[in-house]
Amino acid sequence: MSKETIRAGAWGTLFTLIVAGLIVLGSRNLAHFDAALVGYTFAVLFATFGITYRYSMWLQRPPTALYWKRGWQVFLRPRHLVQNIKEWFIRVPSDFGLNLFILQRGKLRWATHMLLMWGCMIAIAITFPLVFGWIHFETLPNNFDWYRAYLFGFPTFAFPIHSIFGFLVFHGLVWASIMVTAGVMLAMRRRMRDHGAAALQQFGEDFLPLILLFAISVTGLMLTASYTWMKGYAYDFLAIIHAITVIFTLLWLPFGKFFHIFQRPAQLGVSFYKDVGQREEPANCRRCGAPFTSRMHVEDLIKVERQLGYRYEMKDNSIEHYQWICPPCRRSMLALAQGQLWRTESSASLDMEGLVPTPVLGNPGPNQGPLGEEDRTNFHP
Amino acid sequence: MVPEQNEFFMDPNRCIGCQACVQACSECETHKGYSMIHLDYVDRAHSIQTAPVVCLHCDSPTCAEVCPADAIKKTADGVVQTALKPRCIGCNNCVLACPFGVPKMKTEFKLMMKCDMCYDRTSEGLKPMCATVCPSQALFFGTREEIELLRPRSVATNQFRFGEQTITTKVNMMLPKSGKAEYVDVTAAMSERGSGKTISLNILDGMYNEEQSQ
Amino acid sequence: MAQATENTLEFIEHFGPHPAYAAGVRLETGVEPDKLVKTHCCFCGQQCGIQLKVKDNEVIGFEPWEEFPFNRGMLCPKGVKRYLQGSHPDRLLHAYQRDPASEGGFRELAYDQAIALVAAEIQRIQSTHGNDAFGVLTGASLTTEKAYLMGKFARMCLKTANIDYNGRLCMVSAGAANKKAFGIDRAANPWSDILKAEVVWISGANIAECAPITTNYVWQAREYGAKIIVVDPRITPIARTCDLFLPVKPGRDIALFNGILHLMIENDWLDHDFITKHTVGFEAVAEHVHEWNPKKTAEVTGISERAIRQAAEWWGQAKSSFLLHARGIEHHTHGVQNCLGAINMVLASGRIGRENCGYATITGQANGQGGREHGQKCDQLPGARDISNPEHRAYVAGVWGITPEEMPQAGVDAYEMFRLIDRGEIRGLLSICFNPKVSLPDNSFITRCLEKLEFYVAIDFFLNETAEHADIVLPGSLQEEDEGVVTQIEGRVIKINKAVDPPGDAKQDWRIIQDIAKALEREKGFTFSSPREIFNELRIASKGGIADYSGITYEKIEKQYGVFWPCPSDDHPGTPRLFELGSLNPIAKGSGPFYFPDGRARFNVAPYTPPAEDTDEEYPLMLTTGRVVSQFLSGTQTRRIGPLVDQYPEPLIEIHPQLAQKLGIANGDLTTVESRRGDITLPAMVVTTIRPDTVFVPYHWPGRKSINQLTISAQDPISKIPEYKVCAVRVRKATGNGS
Repeated sequence: MSKETIRAGAWGTLFTLIVAGLIVLGSRNLAHFDAALVGYTFAVLFATFGITYRYSMWLQRPPTALYWKRGWQVFLRPRHLVQNIKEWFIRVPSDFGLNLFILQRGKLRWATHMLLMWGCMIAIAITFPLVFGWIHFETLPNNFDWYRAYLFGFPTFAFPIHSIFGFLVFHGLVWASIMVTAGVMLAMRRRMRDHGAAALQQFGEDFLPLILLFAISVTGLMLTASYTWMKGYAYDFLAIIHAITVIFTLLWLPFGKFFHIFQRPAQLGVSFYKDVGQREEPANCRRCGAPFTSRMHVEDLIKVERQLGYRYEMKDNSIEHYQWICPPCRRSMLALAQGQLWRTESSASLDMEGLVPTPVLGNPGPNQGPLGEEDRTNFHP
Repeated sequence: MVPEQNEFFMDPNRCIGCQACVQACSECETHKGYSMIHLDYVDRAHSIQTAPVVCLHCDSPTCAEVCPADAIKKTADGVVQTALKPRCIGCNNCVLACPFGVPKMKTEFKLMMKCDMCYDRTSEGLKPMCATVCPSQALFFGTREEIELLRPRSVATNQFRFGEQTITTKVNMMLPKSGKAEYVDVTAAMSERGSGKTISLNILDGMYNEEQSQ
Repeated sequence: MAQATENTLEFIEHFGPHPAYAAGVRLETGVEPDKLVKTHCCFCGQQCGIQLKVKDNEVIGFEPWEEFPFNRGMLCPKGVKRYLQGSHPDRLLHAYQRDPASEGGFRELAYDQAIALVAAEIQRIQSTHGNDAFGVLTGASLTTEKAYLMGKFARMCLKTANIDYNGRLCMVSAGAANKKAFGIDRAANPWSDILKAEVVWISGANIAECAPITTNYVWQAREYGAKIIVVDPRITPIARTCDLFLPVKPGRDIALFNGILHLMIENDWLDHDFITKHTVGFEAVAEHVHEWNPKKTAEVTGISERAIRQAAEWWGQAKSSFLLHARGIEHHTHGVQNCLGAINMVLASGRIGRENCGYATITGQANGQGGREHGQKCDQLPGARDISNPEHRAYVAGVWGITPEEMPQAGVDAYEMFRLIDRGEIRGLLSICFNPKVSLPDNSFITRCLEKLEFYVAIDFFLNETAEHADIVLPGSLQEEDEGVVTQIEGRVIKINKAVDPPGDAKQDWRIIQDIAKALEREKGFTFSSPREIFNELRIASKGGIADYSGITYEKIEKQYGVFWPCPSDDHPGTPRLFELGSLNPIAKGSGPFYFPDGRARFNVAPYTPPAEDTDEEYPLMLTTGRVVSQFLSGTQTRRIGPLVDQYPEPLIEIHPQLAQKLGIANGDLTTVESRRGDITLPAMVVTTIRPDTVFVPYHWPGRKSINQLTISAQDPISKIPEYKVCAVRVRKATGNGS
């Protein structure tokens, strides 16, 4: 077993124990724990281990490790801290709450993801605390038409059972299921029609998660239908089927597409890294002289590339490492190097002293590439 | 799967900068509306030379290895894909690390997008958009037999040198048969400014002034 | 009278140009098209094969057509984005009448009412001022059926002599020279003959930008060992890596051709056998080029002696060769002479009419070739017949069912028509497929003439700059809304197929013309119900002429991927290569391969003359004009296609750094170029890829961005082509903020 695996295993065990501890604690020594839900609980514990293990393995990849470290460093850098915190309060709701970056990719895509994401979030927010015994409801001693909610065993607010609020709360999973089902339908439609998606999609990576979400939602809705309108017809059977779908999904969580839920927050670290990079010293291309990213970014990449075993070092001391060359120059050099090999007597080369001009993308169309709007926001601070 | 016999061959020396590739690229259905190919004027003030660059699809892609999110994947047939949408965190590592300068960051999408050799077309046995339309055939897609027949004075290589690093790619580049070079030393062109015909220093120097003084 | 509406925001709001981008269904990736229509690009003379994706009567995209042998799927950026011209916000969906009180300066009009108005005005003008007082201007992007119908309409329905077309600005010099030298006006070879040529000589042709697909043929030839020689005042993309580049001074091409012929004679790089057996007039030409020794040639052309000698050596000693030229040598007051000079070089080498040995002009417009063969040219009748030849008149009159006496005589060229307008001899005008306000030289004169017209009706699908002067605008059809044939660059007749129906009140152009004929109560001869019927009449009308289409059918075209004319009978496969030894033609009748009674080609003495307006102290520099790859001609279509606009958004002045430095101009500075006719202020593009004594500006833009404000209207005395490629200018850094 490698060092990385042992470390990841340790983190996994630690987190699993913490969750287990919280279950015991939150349910007041399992007083409010529903024994029927023990399968779910163990699935969650397994998922916790798996996710932590994979997350830890992921964090140990050289580029991730560096970004993780740098992300925190730049976030906490005293000079930028106030600004960073302000930004944090803007970015969390816009990126994670509203998925605005997905809205840019397309309205339908955005609607799909919002439905799926918030459907799942609502479902998780309702079911997990219930399963763990962190939340339970009791009728008021003096009024059987009222419920009081208990969180971690502490009493909170009370509300009438037959109110709109009560209806909404007790059918929360129904709403969540409807949202998820709608999202799955939209996603499926795209995957069935879109020629681009058709070329790239894979069953395990792209269809399985949709099928799982659909199965959970539909079996959940059938449970509701069974006890609401069909006097509990086939309730036990449905409950088992539902449990199987949920448990399978939980067990699969660390391995498949859903892992992005845990990975995605890294996006925040990246945004602070870029911000701080823009405010600090730029890296100037050592061929054309144009600034193309932050000095920090180039130096970090050199470190990462060395760790990965790449040898982009240059003999020319004024350049040192190929990473100091900007992407437009890299593209030009490819053609120029080939042109050199084809050069005949009659085609002169232009030998001039000094830096060469930055290559310019031929098509200056809206948001089209190097030195246009897109690059200005990417690597031209 | 891209049929094994179909290969991509680049010959930038043929490029005329017409941008048919750039325009056609945005018609590809894996990234419709967005062009992934690059076409740069290397030094327009001194030369009309242009550099078309598609993804060369490295055997071990630097972009994928420096990706902190593990978002860049290569298909079994060797095509390096656009970053996986759920994973890409828009960090720009790939954009900066790719030795050929290929990936594009769509900042507003928080997503790296790149040339995927028109996977929707090539995986069905068609040619990529750019190589189909390219009027100079600086971008060529076909079999090795075809290219050998069409380019008798050229030989294909897929080895590129950057300083001490050699990168092997799926896409080939055409080199002169007579030159006997086995790889393209990209960093050898570090101070190269553009090549080809020049007006000024030899044939016409001083001509304008002469006319003025007459 | 026909004052253009001021280009107000209101006007632009209604008629554009709006740059269109892919949106909606055109951006969707989950759409299955209803059909793929195999057709051709609507732009240049190469007529690349393309398949249009059609969904719900809308062209939503394209798919390469790799089976079509000329381009095998290749397309330039214009071809790739041509689909965006359909369903365009600027598309004319109704007839319009000038009405300064209406928003945008025009008000919608019922189509029938518009036709009635047009007919009434034609009748009024012709009855008051005579038949010739109504002129017709047409274009070489029309299908051959439409071109034929326009000629017939002018001569038979309007009975006016005054019809001419925009091919006048295009390849008439080459056409005239070809007729003088070979007796026939067509590319002598299919492009496949370029591939194995030992030397490819390219004079005045920016192939990479104006005929991009031809690039592959040239590079392919180089792969097989050819030397590429490029003659141009600018280093065009194809010149960058050619084997020999001759940076000729604008307007001095004949001097170079004569100089090369001089060296060929001096070194005896001649095909004596060919010259003796198949040509006449060599001695006079040899005598004439005697004075063009390398020293003199170098002095006149501005090319080094060494380079001239090298070119002559390669050309002279080659076993096979292909000479290509285009507007660069044709747009001159001595354009015909330029072409004859080039042809003399070819004839002296004897390298024509054989495999891998050829000569061609690169036609510019979609139907540049076919549009100049079937009677929309002022002096010509279908089948490339001559309107002044009594036999030809009698034949065509017979096909049309009129007497030869009823047929008008030759009219004047397109530019001269404007001079007639200026003099009040032409009072009314119908135009289709022509935007002279952008494309003719010295265009402020054109604007003044348009303003003098009593009545002007324009047929178009977008309201182009010239049509802004129209009293009535009739909504015509886009290329993909009609079918018909065109003849491309190689002389190959190909078929345009209909993909969608015209929207709104828009009609196929030939229907509009027939509707006008009907409203004039001269319906006879204008009752066709399809382009096929027109084509079948054209086949008869061209029969026995030089451009003989009588054996061509739509079916044969589809089956053979095009048919090269002449094709005189149903069982004839067409003629890809002209002038093959032993080949038959109706003029020589077996006496030789060329289209003269003796079957021999003609050498023509091509004397050098300087440009009409040479440089002087006041205007010390030369201006030359041309195209960019992303725009096409006057830009009526391409300035409305967003991605093409983005590629080269506005004209720039190309200027050499030596000159720029002298004038204190830096890259991007607003710079003013002035000629005796006008001035223009545009950003400078300082590049070493142009001669230091020359500036270049592309011509696709209107108004204050139109370089044709400066160009000279001097014309070639034979072909009547204007001298776009050189006039005298002065250049300075713009004062103030420019325009």
